Amino acid sequence: MSLFAGVGGGAAAGEPASAGGTGRALLELTPHKLAVCHLVQVFAPPAQAGGDVVPPSPFESVAHHNRLGLFLFTLTRSCDDFREPSLEELLRQLKAVDDLTNGCLCEQLTSTLSVLISPDDLFNFFDKLRGVLTAPEGAGAEDILLDPNSQLGVFLRCCILAFNSMTFEGICHLLADLVMYCNSTDTSYDLAEDEDFDTEMNNLMDADISSQADIFEKYRQGRESESHMGESSSALTRAPMILHDLDEANTFKVDEDNPTSLRSRWQLEAYLNQQADLLEKDPSSVPLNSFNATMTQLQTLAPELHRVQFLQYLNALCHDDYIASLDNLHRYFDYSAGMQGLFGRSVSAVQDVIVGKYEGALLCLGNLHCHFGHPKKALEAFSEAVRVSQMNNDDSCLAYVLGAISNLLAKIGMSNTVGIVSSPYSLGTNIGLGTPLSIQQQLLVLLKRSLKRADLLKLPSLLAFDHLSLAKFDLKNVQRPLVSFGPNASTKLRTCPADVCKNLRLSSRVLSDFGTDALSTSSENGSFSTSWLRNLATASDSRRSGSMRSTKLHNDFDNFHYLGQPSPIPSPVLQLAGSSYLLRATAWEHYGSAPMVRMNALIYATCFADAASSSELSLAYVKLIQQLAVFKGYSAAFCALKLAERKFPSSASSHIQLLRMQILHERALHRGHLKVAQQICDEFGVLSSSVCGVDIELKIEASVRRARTLLAAKQFSQAAAVANSLFSTCYKYNLQVENASVLLLLAEIHKKSDNVVLGLPYALASQSFCKSFNLDLLEASATLTLAELWLALGSSHAKRALSLVYQSLPMILGHGGLELRARAHIVLAKCHLSDPKFSVTEDSEAVLDPLNQATEDLRVLEYHEMAAEAYYLKAIAYNHQCKLEEREEAAACFREHITALENPRKEEDSLAY
Amino acid sequence: MASAKETYRTELRAAARQLGERCLYSAAKWAAELLVGVDLDTSPAPSSAMDSPSSSSAVSAGRLLHLHRSGGSSFRHRFRPGGASSSEAGTPLGGVSYVSTPIPDDDSFDSGGDKYLLAKTYFDCREYRRAAHVLQNQVGRKAVFLRCYALYMAGEKRKEAEMIEMEGSLGKSNAVNQELVALERELSTHRRTGSIDSFGLYLYGLVLRDKGCEDLARTILVESVNSYPWNWSAWSELQSLCTSSDVLNNLNLKNHWMKDFFLASTYLELKMHEEALKRYERLMGIFRSSGYIQAQIATVQYSMRDLDEAEMIFEELLRTDPFRVDSMDIYSNLLYAKESLTALSFLAHRVFLTDKYRPESCCIIANYYSLKGQHEKSVLYFQRALKLNRKYLSAWTLMGHEYVELKNTPAAIDAYRRAVDINPKDYRAWYGLGQIYEMMGMPFYALYYFRKSSYLQPNDARLWIAMAQCYESDPLQMIEEAIKCYERAANSNDTEGIALHQLAKLHDVLGQSEEAAYYYKKDLERMEAEERQGQNFVEALLFLAKHYKNIGNFEEAGHYCTRLLDYTGPEKETAKNMLQGIKRLQSGFPSMDIDHFAL
Repeated sequence: MSLFAGVGGGAAAGEPASAGGTGRALLELTPHKLAVCHLVQVFAPPAQAGGDVVPPSPFESVAHHNRLGLFLFTLTRSCDDFREPSLEELLRQLKAVDDLTNGCLCEQLTSTLSVLISPDDLFNFFDKLRGVLTAPEGAGAEDILLDPNSQLGVFLRCCILAFNSMTFEGICHLLADLVMYCNSTDTSYDLAEDEDFDTEMNNLMDADISSQADIFEKYRQGRESESHMGESSSALTRAPMILHDLDEANTFKVDEDNPTSLRSRWQLEAYLNQQADLLEKDPSSVPLNSFNATMTQLQTLAPELHRVQFLQYLNALCHDDYIASLDNLHRYFDYSAGMQGLFGRSVSAVQDVIVGKYEGALLCLGNLHCHFGHPKKALEAFSEAVRVSQMNNDDSCLAYVLGAISNLLAKIGMSNTVGIVSSPYSLGTNIGLGTPLSIQQQLLVLLKRSLKRADLLKLPSLLAFDHLSLAKFDLKNVQRPLVSFGPNASTKLRTCPADVCKNLRLSSRVLSDFGTDALSTSSENGSFSTSWLRNLATASDSRRSGSMRSTKLHNDFDNFHYLGQPSPIPSPVLQLAGSSYLLRATAWEHYGSAPMVRMNALIYATCFADAASSSELSLAYVKLIQQLAVFKGYSAAFCALKLAERKFPSSASSHIQLLRMQILHERALHRGHLKVAQQICDEFGVLSSSVCGVDIELKIEASVRRARTLLAAKQFSQAAAVANSLFSTCYKYNLQVENASVLLLLAEIHKKSDNVVLGLPYALASQSFCKSFNLDLLEASATLTLAELWLALGSSHAKRALSLVYQSLPMILGHGGLELRARAHIVLAKCHLSDPKFSVTEDSEAVLDPLNQATEDLRVLEYHEMAAEAYYLKAIAYNHQCKLEEREEAAACFREHITALENPRKEEDSLAY
Repeated sequence: MASAKETYRTELRAAARQLGERCLYSAAKWAAELLVGVDLDTSPAPSSAMDSPSSSSAVSAGRLLHLHRSGGSSFRHRFRPGGASSSEAGTPLGGVSYVSTPIPDDDSFDSGGDKYLLAKTYFDCREYRRAAHVLQNQVGRKAVFLRCYALYMAGEKRKEAEMIEMEGSLGKSNAVNQELVALERELSTHRRTGSIDSFGLYLYGLVLRDKGCEDLARTILVESVNSYPWNWSAWSELQSLCTSSDVLNNLNLKNHWMKDFFLASTYLELKMHEEALKRYERLMGIFRSSGYIQAQIATVQYSMRDLDEAEMIFEELLRTDPFRVDSMDIYSNLLYAKESLTALSFLAHRVFLTDKYRPESCCIIANYYSLKGQHEKSVLYFQRALKLNRKYLSAWTLMGHEYVELKNTPAAIDAYRRAVDINPKDYRAWYGLGQIYEMMGMPFYALYYFRKSSYLQPNDARLWIAMAQCYESDPLQMIEEAIKCYERAANSNDTEGIALHQLAKLHDVLGQSEEAAYYYKKDLERMEAEERQGQNFVEALLFLAKHYKNIGNFEEAGHYCTRLLDYTGPEKETAKNMLQGIKRLQSGFPSMDIDHFAL
């Protein structure tokens, strides 16, 4: 009857490997481990010949017994801190587990530990422990309660082994530590000096949670409550200091009256991985200095654990500290020689001959330069990485580098490689491209190569990444064969949505394939145990102090059963799989299907929130809110925006910030508040970087908005100039998709400025661009503009215009937003009205229905200009029908909107929401 | 003059005794060495020896001004640091005298005298805790100091032991001196009540430094040396806390003659070699036979690449003090640089017999093996040296070199990196790191390290050339950056003349023949001045001949062609042909010569 048999089989195999190189004991004995050993002994008392009862003596039920077992299991695997918990902490957790026996386990534990005062006591203690694992004479093997190969069994054996190989000095140290460990409970637990900063913090402090990881949560809550009060900026500057103080207080406390004993190496690495995930997920939640202080402390305790330096590098990177990140990057790779496993986050098997893997350093260096917006330096680093990894036959690194280069090329707009890559030699010959190619062609070649390598080398994560990049590429680029001969070469110049879809689907296969990847060997990273322990604290907490749930960036289902098991899929894999959904949403945005956008964004926000980084998650929210703004009007969007801002409190969340400005700008334009619109335009201009080629999308958006503002201000020539220069920029950087909308904008400008004939070619060009890139909704909108242009040419073209409108209506009514629908309705009514063969009196519904629909939609949007037009048309229609009363009513509405447009009042309101 | 020397002697004699009584052995040793080093002849020393570094006018002005008597003791000193280096921090100006400090009276043996004697003997036998125990409840300053010092030493001893005991799989744990907290508490109380002497302050400074309160430690140490300047240990602790010249300039030190020793050694540490040398030479005038000063001067000269001079001094030093181990590692580095194998083996043998468990000895032996080409053994001895002293900076760097020889790049990088982490200003280690990465074919990555090293040593042409070579390398091909680096190198005394030649070549590659000609000419001048000839010389002549011919300056072109005729090889023929072409051109014939076009 072995409980937990084989539970930790994997860990048992893994642990010797990680410690194998040093040849020392697997773990270092600490008082905490002694306490756990004692508890294991209680859990599985040495078998006595004859009567043994289930459950053993102090336990009241099997459930109770199992609960302790689970607790011990998690204790040996949790990684919420690099230090081991104090006795006090352990006792608190134990109490939560051991409700039934009124803390008899706790008393037993303290009394056992406090009688260990001489080396001989320790010998006897471990002698007794041995009895747990071995059956007494005459009893069969099935009489042992604990399988020696289970997690706890292995733990116990490691402890016994460590004790046996301990020197006498070591035992003396252990005894000294034990005395301190036991005494730490006597000192009353107070942090009086911190009491003044926040009442909520105080409550939490009283609820006595003290683990380091929980502090982060508390801090987050504290900061949120502060930002509720008002100035978020001051809260931001203050909050890190608070945490820093708190941290300091904690560390000093530990330094002075508690021996700092490290957890086992395995747990430390899991802890570091967890911190890395945290950094990636939401860098703003990790204050730069206190995190560095923690890491420095860890480093003094474990100087040979070089991964700490990597974390310091990540930390500096996330907080945009160029110098520090560069220094830490070089230091990490100098010390570790890239051998501590960059891709597989675990220690790789010990090799006989140590040859450094410095290509990984170059890969990181390239990414660093990429992050800080130095594309040229990044490319140099990457091409050197390509060279070195080819030289060292490091294929997987090469594949990753190729992926990174393609990421760089895709991310940063470059007109051509010449001048960016200093020598054509460096990228050209190494990657095997003889003739200079356009950036897009190079990108495609690189992606395909990377894909092939990833496939060969069985790197599912990279494979997924490459599929995603390919999908991104296919979305925006027409693929032409690189070499085409003769008349048979296909000349289909359209993007291929099927390819995009295929790639997206293939990328999701990472969810099932991740087992073969080194990246995912960290699946057993103890996060389950950590969260279990944390939940234990929260559960016992909520029982005492009512419900106080923290608002974390977590999946919603976590709220329902917080004791539930977290997802077994490692978070990097989840992240990749999730980004495929995000990309799906973007793809459908392009192809013009609103419901699909909503659906995919929703899937992302609900299912992948756990693993997502805050920036990606905020992107999903942005997409949802944008949809709201387009379909439900601004008030709904602003409501949602407020929620989103609360969820992503830091000003660092640039997506949300941009979204706010976008919506505000739209609304200002619709309301006719041009000054406000201009102001927001200027803000956009400030946000985009001055460096050429960097954040090209933001730059384009800024110009588009400027042109639209000018258009709304009826400064047509200037608007046209801006749009024209924008077009040439897009052309230069090969941004065809953006070109389609810029062309449409130009057509709009010419339409508004009554240069109808000039507008027609632009509209047609835009339409054909849309066709070749499958931008269906934009195409419908272009068709509509085309219809308007025809209509403006005179009533003789009404028929043609009408047919165009009918052509675009299904798409618009199905997927178009409020504005587009209203426009379509108005154009429809206009067509009818200007058609000489059409008589309003006969078929008044054909005109009035769309107009009513349009006025309804425009009211939600507060779009005065178009609403005025709709009411005007309505008045005309009523006039034709001789319905004077209705006509006057419509005319009054028209007047109302016109005055609102011409004399904008309370413009400053447009900045508030 | 003699009286001044006599004063030094009196002071040092008292100091050596007082320091020894307080068990500050190394400071006592230093004082005693210096005491013996004071020039013995009583006849007036030739003043020229003293004046050599400083301008004589400043000195004479100083003499005139220096008439007032300093308070306290009656000695005064005529030879102050001269005006030449008066711009340095804290250096007394020409006319400012040293501040003299009265030699403190020792506590007379009071009731606790016997116990103190017992404690001191315990201390001498390294039974620190026992010594401290004996002195419990003694209130004399001397007793308090010795008790605290004994406790400190006991804590240090325990710490060293723990460092070994607690070595875990993740490296050493941070063993700390357990006595620090109690000591700090006690010493700060004493300082507040004013019942602390300068020795106590020194100990307090040590404790503070170990606790990481460096600023306060610096203040306390300054207080200590101001009240008792003869404690060299206090000075050297202070020096280790002066990590930059700014810190040094902000110290508020009294102008005692001991300060000169401090400044000189700190300048040496901060790589301000000229200033250090000046000060040492001046001190040499008084302490004529001091081995310490000789060794320091030799070290400075070695650092300034003046190997012959330094070797002479070291030889002399070894003759007078054959069992000396201090600073002998520098001597071995020097012998290594000069590749004098026999001298090095002799030195290694001697220090081995003297004391083989000194980090310096191990380092010397390692150097010997390295010169013999037995790099594995060399690494072994460097490792031993580092085991004896983890913070032995030059050993880390040298071990890095050895690993490079062994082609063990990760180990080499690790060694260099540790050197850099001990002292981030060690430009040699940064340079070594850069070289390794360059060797591994990562010039872009290496640039970071070369940048670091040239930032620390901006006037070293070698570093700039290394950086330029990275830029110039095949994969990077960043010619313009390379040119910038070579220019820096050419401006900072490039002895090997690589920079000028490369500059000319690169400009030629870029098609900037004017600039190329300029640099070729400069390179020619340099080679002529150094009477060096070779391929580079011929290349320069050929280019210049062609260049001047192309721009129509036939006279110059002819001049260079004629010079080329002195050399054998294909260039000679080319020059001949060219000369003919030039003649034809000059005589106004239409240029139809095929040879001419072929050029």
